[in-house]
Amino acid sequence: MSRCLPDKSLTQVQAGLGSEAEHAHVQSCPGCAQRLRALARDLAVISRVLATTAEPATRTVRTARRWLPAAVGASALAVAALLWIEVAVWRAMTFVPPTMQPEEVSAILSEVSAALFSVRGYVSAKAEADELVPTLESEEDAESDCDGPDWLVTPGCGPAALTPTATSEWGWAEE
Amino acid sequence: MVQTHSGRLQRLCQLLLADGQEAEEVVQEVFVKAFEAERRHGPPADWGPWLTRIAVNTCRDRRRAGWWRRFRRWSERIEEMPIADGGPTPEDAAISDETRRRVWLAFRALPDRQREVFVLRHLEGWSGPEIAAALGLSVGSVKRHLFRAIHRLRETLGGTP
Repeated sequence: MSRCLPDKSLTQVQAGLGSEAEHAHVQSCPGCAQRLRALARDLAVISRVLATTAEPATRTVRTARRWLPAAVGASALAVAALLWIEVAVWRAMTFVPPTMQPEEVSAILSEVSAALFSVRGYVSAKAEADELVPTLESEEDAESDCDGPDWLVTPGCGPAALTPTATSEWGWAEE
Repeated sequence: MVQTHSGRLQRLCQLLLADGQEAEEVVQEVFVKAFEAERRHGPPADWGPWLTRIAVNTCRDRRRAGWWRRFRRWSERIEEMPIADGGPTPEDAAISDETRRRVWLAFRALPDRQREVFVLRHLEGWSGPEIAAALGLSVGSVKRHLFRAIHRLRETLGGTP
C-alpha cells in the first residue's frame, strides 16, 4: 500500500480495528505515523476530559423559539382551511342556469309574446304560428270595420263602442 | 459487586444520559436486574461486561421514554454557569477551562449511537466485536460510528487535518 491512509482508516487503526495491511503501512509511512500520533494525543485529551473532569454546569433559558414552528404550522393550516371553506361555499352558492335548446327558447318567446299581445283575453291565432312577429289583432278586431280612416264616425268603432269587459280586463273604472 | 462497579456504572450512565439523578436511578435499576438474573440463571463469568451491557440498554430505554424532555431541551438555550465548587482537581488544572467546555459541549452534541460507541471503546476499553454484540450492530457500523464521533470531537480541539 503506497498511498497514505485516509482519516477513517487511521481512526480504525488507532482503535485497534484496522486491517493487517493498514497496520503495516502505518509502521512504514512516517506521514501516517505522525498523523496517528496526533490522533492518539487528541483522543487522550478527550478521554481524560470526559473521564476525570466534571461536566460544566448549565442553565437552561427558555426561548420563544420552540413555539415558533408550531405557530407557523397552525397559521398555515388555518389559512388553508379558510381558503377551502371559501371555495366550497362559493361553489355551493353559485347558481349556474341550465343551458336551453334553441327550440325551447323559441317556444318560451312565443308564449310570452302571445301573452303580451293578446286582446280582450283572447290569444290571436297568429300568435301560435312559428313567426315571432307579434300580432295586434284579435279575431273580433279582424272582422270589424274600424280599421278604415273614418273609424271614429263609424258606428260601433268610436269611444262609445268600448265595452265594459275590455275595461274590466284592464282594470279601468267603468263609466 | 456493587462497590466494585457502582462508581464506574454511575460515570458511564452520566455520560450517556447527561443527568446525574437519572443516572443514579439507572444504576439502581441495573443492580436490581443483576440480582434477579443471578437468582434465575446464576452469576455470569464476568460481571463487568454484563453490567455495562445492561446499563447501556437501560440508558437507551430512558432516552426513548424522555422524548418530551429532549424536545423541550432542543429549543432551549444553554448558558454555562460559573463553577462554584471547592476548587479544580489536579486533572482539571492540567486541562484549560476552554478545552474542557468545548469537549463537553461537543460530546453532548453527538448522536446517541456515536456517544455510546465512543464511550464503550475509549472509556470502557471494549473491542469492536464486543461493542457490536452489546449494541446489536455490525462491526462495520461500529467502525463508522466511531470514526464520526472521533472526527466531530477532534474538530473542537482543532486537530483534524
